Amino acid sequence: MSVVAQVPAGGGLTWQSLGRHRSARAVVGLTAVVLFLIGWQIVGAGEIIRSDLISYPSEVAETLMRMTASGELGGNALVSLQEFIQGFVPAIAIGIAAGTAFALSTRLHYLFDPLIVALNTSPIIAFVPIVVVWFGVGTQSKAIMVFLAAVIPIVINTMTGITQVHESWIRACRAFGASKSQVILKAILPGALPSVMVGVRLAVGRAVVGLIAAEMYVSVRGIGRLIQVYSTSERAAEIFVLVAVVASFGFLLVTLLRRIEGAIAPWSLEP
Amino acid sequence: MSGISIVPARREQFVLGIIGTLVFLLVWETAARFDLINPVVVSNPTRIAAAFVSQLQSGEILADLKVSLIEFTAGFGLSLVVGIGLGIAMGLNRLTEYAVDPFVWFLYSSPLIAFYPLIIVWLGFGFATVVAITFLLSFVSVVVNTVAGVHGVDPQLVRAVRAFGGGRLDVIRKVILPAAVPLIIAGMRIGLGRALHGVVLGEMFSSNAGLGYRITFYAAHLRTADVFVPLVILVVIGLMINQLGNAVEARLQAWRA
Repeated sequence: MSVVAQVPAGGGLTWQSLGRHRSARAVVGLTAVVLFLIGWQIVGAGEIIRSDLISYPSEVAETLMRMTASGELGGNALVSLQEFIQGFVPAIAIGIAAGTAFALSTRLHYLFDPLIVALNTSPIIAFVPIVVVWFGVGTQSKAIMVFLAAVIPIVINTMTGITQVHESWIRACRAFGASKSQVILKAILPGALPSVMVGVRLAVGRAVVGLIAAEMYVSVRGIGRLIQVYSTSERAAEIFVLVAVVASFGFLLVTLLRRIEGAIAPWSLEP
Repeated sequence: MSGISIVPARREQFVLGIIGTLVFLLVWETAARFDLINPVVVSNPTRIAAAFVSQLQSGEILADLKVSLIEFTAGFGLSLVVGIGLGIAMGLNRLTEYAVDPFVWFLYSSPLIAFYPLIIVWLGFGFATVVAITFLLSFVSVVVNTVAGVHGVDPQLVRAVRAFGGGRLDVIRKVILPAAVPLIIAGMRIGLGRALHGVVLGEMFSSNAGLGYRITFYAAHLRTADVFVPLVILVVIGLMINQLGNAVEARLQAWRA
């Protein structure tokens, strides 16, 4: 049915025509979401399924207002944000520095390779309990988790970014008499930036999940702590609000990073 | 020339990797021996090795490994079936794709673990909930890559099959699936990593068995050396998945060339 349904009048399947349907994508997607919300409202508010388990959109919206007005959301979000920054900024600095060092010295890279690969392929969440034992239940252990989750993709992408800088750029710089630091500043860093930024964007998602899971595991304050509190009391509306807040934070940060990247390095944002 | 130089480079990488790991373990052990770090809280390699032996002898850790592997297989298997099926449906039908897309991206970008209490209410504490979390975390990568794979199919081939009287199923079986395989495998690779994450998350928060549960159990009892046993096993599983992915991708490269 599906194949037949979309064969255009001209015959044949024209996958390429997909790109021309940007507005169709938005309209259909929006319609589906609105239909879903209406269905959810009917099922939840009508108690067809216990509403304390699935809630419903209007209740979620009210809950968002209430939690914002009471300062509950803002206060805890601020704690989580601080933990995120405390872990993420060092992850960027150390990740780029280490990635550059590994790209410049293959030997150094090989020495640390098992550690990098192990951290990259293992479920980082599994380290939460040990990090909490080592660094306590407070904000420090959360910042460490953010750092651990974020640093690896930044290291790896910095490394690949630098090794993939076009040889000809470097030779061109040299030919015009550039010094070593000029080569790094004018050719290597700008050339590696797109790949580094891919790593940073990848790190955002991982760090957010690491932070929330660590806060859910054990913490004093923060969004993850709130999720855990409302989870155990089966408050679906509050959980939906908190999940939406976390998802929006990740989305906004990635969008912001793209904007910054586009402004300082317009060459890097290829479609 | 290049064929000759590859071997020593790989050997150098291997040797230096082992040296780096040994130095790391040695520094850790020495620091603990000289009380530069608290050996009870931080633990050290020899304690961890002893914990490994005792947990293997009691058979406890093997039971947990078995639970985790079954949950992993069930969750990821479900991801493959649903992910490839939905991905092909979305790839072939624009309306389906546009309609399902927002939900897929929501699943991808939101911290799904927050929903675990609700899933427990539906599916009960333990096995089914862990499988569900594993599935939810991993199936999006399979879907997204399958869709991309189907979109990359050469329409000429589809038209050729149609011209020779092939039906819808022939098109899917003979053209779309084979052409989409490389991207589906790429999606599976990402999905496998996320599935392992899902098993650990699910077990940490909503189970009383498995490697993820065992980590939280030992951590809660401050048995640090014991925590490292399931942790190291998980790291090794992650490495094995990665190696498997590398091998399959190398095969695929050779097959396409």
